[in-house]
Amino acid sequence: MVVTAWCTAFSGFAALGLAIDRHHEDSYGRGKSPGARRPWLRLAGTLALLLSLAACLAVQGPTQGWVLWLGVLTAGALVVVGVLSYAPRRAAPLAAIAGVLAAITALLALI
Amino acid sequence: MNTETTPDSVPAGDAEAEAYSLHGWLPRGNAALMYRLGVASRALAAIVGGYVLSALVATVSAIYFPGTRGEAAIFGMLVSFVIYTMAVMWVFAVRSAWRAWLGLLLPSLPLALAVLVHLYVRSAP
Amino acid sequence: MKEGFRQSMNWVHTYSGLLVGWVLFMVFAAGTACYYRDEITLWMKPELHQAGLSLPPEVEVVSNTVAALQQRAPTAQRWFITLPTEREPGVRASWSAPPLAKGAAEPALEPGVTRRGRLYSAMLDPATGQPMAATRETRGGEFFYRLHFDLHYMPAIWARWIIGFCAMFMLVAIITGIVTHRRIFADFFTFRPKKGQRSWLDAHNATAVLALPYHLMITYTGLVTLMLMYMPFGPQVTYKGDQQAFTAEVFPATGPRDPKPSGIATPLTPMAPLIAQAQQRWGEDSIARINVHNPGDAVATITLSRKAQDMSSAQPALMFNGTTGKLLNEVGEDRGAVITTRSVLYGLHLGRFADPLLRLLFFVSGLAGCVMVATGLLLWAVKERNKYAKVVANGGRVGWASRLVDGLNVGAIAGLMIALPAFFWANRLLPVGMAGRGQAEIDLFFGVWALAAIAGLAWPTRRMWIIQLGVAAFMFGAIPLLNAATTATHLGVSIPAGLWAVAGFDLTCLALGAALLLCAGWLGRRKPSAKAVRAAPASLNREPAL
Repeated sequence: MVVTAWCTAFSGFAALGLAIDRHHEDSYGRGKSPGARRPWLRLAGTLALLLSLAACLAVQGPTQGWVLWLGVLTAGALVVVGVLSYAPRRAAPLAAIAGVLAAITALLALI
Repeated sequence: MNTETTPDSVPAGDAEAEAYSLHGWLPRGNAALMYRLGVASRALAAIVGGYVLSALVATVSAIYFPGTRGEAAIFGMLVSFVIYTMAVMWVFAVRSAWRAWLGLLLPSLPLALAVLVHLYVRSAP
Repeated sequence: MKEGFRQSMNWVHTYSGLLVGWVLFMVFAAGTACYYRDEITLWMKPELHQAGLSLPPEVEVVSNTVAALQQRAPTAQRWFITLPTEREPGVRASWSAPPLAKGAAEPALEPGVTRRGRLYSAMLDPATGQPMAATRETRGGEFFYRLHFDLHYMPAIWARWIIGFCAMFMLVAIITGIVTHRRIFADFFTFRPKKGQRSWLDAHNATAVLALPYHLMITYTGLVTLMLMYMPFGPQVTYKGDQQAFTAEVFPATGPRDPKPSGIATPLTPMAPLIAQAQQRWGEDSIARINVHNPGDAVATITLSRKAQDMSSAQPALMFNGTTGKLLNEVGEDRGAVITTRSVLYGLHLGRFADPLLRLLFFVSGLAGCVMVATGLLLWAVKERNKYAKVVANGGRVGWASRLVDGLNVGAIAGLMIALPAFFWANRLLPVGMAGRGQAEIDLFFGVWALAAIAGLAWPTRRMWIIQLGVAAFMFGAIPLLNAATTATHLGVSIPAGLWAVAGFDLTCLALGAALLLCAGWLGRRKPSAKAVRAAPASLNREPAL
């Protein structure tokens, strides 16, 4: 479940990052604006971050869960910054992989 | 206080003076001196005046906050640092150093009065 | 200020950060190290590395410890017992020493026992009650804990006021930083490497914004931990100076009101029934500490405190009469919203409640804080230098303020990065039996730092940065080798054995060394700007620092 929390945070921030013009251009090439996809990227990103919160609350309970979430967000955001700066073209695929990993680990934890 | 700009009058060809005047460390006329006095005044207001104001807020909270004495005292302390931060920011945001001092003094007076009332009127020595 | 709100807040942010930045870097570095202070202490006591400790049940551990204390300190006024935890597998037993008679010498310490002030301490084996293998005298991780708020070589009160002043500046710097950051969301993920001043700004923004909740929390809660000292006026007025009444109300008695012994010798009541009562209320293995006041006296009291089960620093406690075993006072969990808030804030700062994952996240956030402070200082220095670019190109000198800041930056940042591993090197290289060893390690830490700082102030150049970062990288990175050369628990042994405290320390130092080497490498590769090269005379000032 902790893996879920971190993976969703990473994917969420990656999505939110790609919704920003500059990072979208870095990832997909010059002049490629997110356009119509922007609100969807933002929605998906926000949802992912909330799922991360849910996972953290599930792991640590109602008070410590929030503290864990903030820590996981920090770690996730730092990695996303690293990816967007040094390997922007891998951002979207990595986000997708993280999403799948999150789904798998969540299912495993819930069973 | 915009650190991006340089003062307008710089003597040409004198590298030393140019280097110094980049920051106006040498007062070049009244404007620079007044500016520096203003900053010093605000710094004093922020650091000392801010502390006095937040200490007064802490004390008034300790006296008048509902709940036990201990709870009220702790609440006052917790709040004081927030007040201090806001006071410091306010002092540097207003238009002049005089206003900064005034703005700290105005709320401090009724707060101090409230403390004095408690000390000498409400509670028997 | 005639310019806008944002610009004046920018000024406040710059100077509130700059003026105390050098102290804050040390506070952040030492404080971040504290998250692993138990592990640091263990690494610094190689004698304990392979002490495979078996853990008997709680009752037995306590009876072994009490027996040991009764043997060593039957007349001490206070016993403090900290039961074993995962991070500290031995029993930490401390007892107060009677005041020395005039002219009398300090009694010799038996092996395994240390003394600080009038308090003796020993780490006892939980199964036997005997002091664990005699360990070398070292302050260990506790040094960093004390350093980050009590500083050193000065009365604690002065240090705490200085630190409080700096913390207040820090809080203002954080809030004004948020206000002044115009594109906080658009620039959330922005980092443009290799672009000079902009890269420093991006690094400063990233480490500040991405760990912003942590920075706000740690700064504010830091002030909260010492708020009774910083803002004593409320209780002074409402309790009319009766400090004891205030303490009793807010921090309910976990010890006797009047701890003076009566002088009548009375045996201490057996501990087993007291432990049983605690276990009934709190469950098995939930006692954290046992404090005994006036053991062996008629007015003895025994207080049991519970292990932390939430973030609050205030945990329930049971206070018993030490001769009859009767329950005198029970301090419960619910202390009211305000006091609980304060306890939670205190607990958050200490972070003792955190499990290994959360602790690691705190550590990472703390490192981000260190980078934030350092990049802030460097950003200011770089901006100042760029203002002098034209002057320097014409053969002029950099201003004294810029040169001073450059020098202080080298000393405070790179110098500290050399001093930290020097402390660990001293721990392994100083002779074990040496007198005053603990203080010697600390003196070496400060001595090395002072040397680095003097060198930095004398030659605040890029080359000095590269040299100092290189030295720091070597000293950190070579620690696993140092460990291998001075103990038997090098990485090849500690990892398979699952001795994660020691292995983790080695690996973290290796990682820090690698990171510092990278920094030194980046600085080495960047060529000085063309303008500076064109200036005719060779002068130290010509070489840009960064």
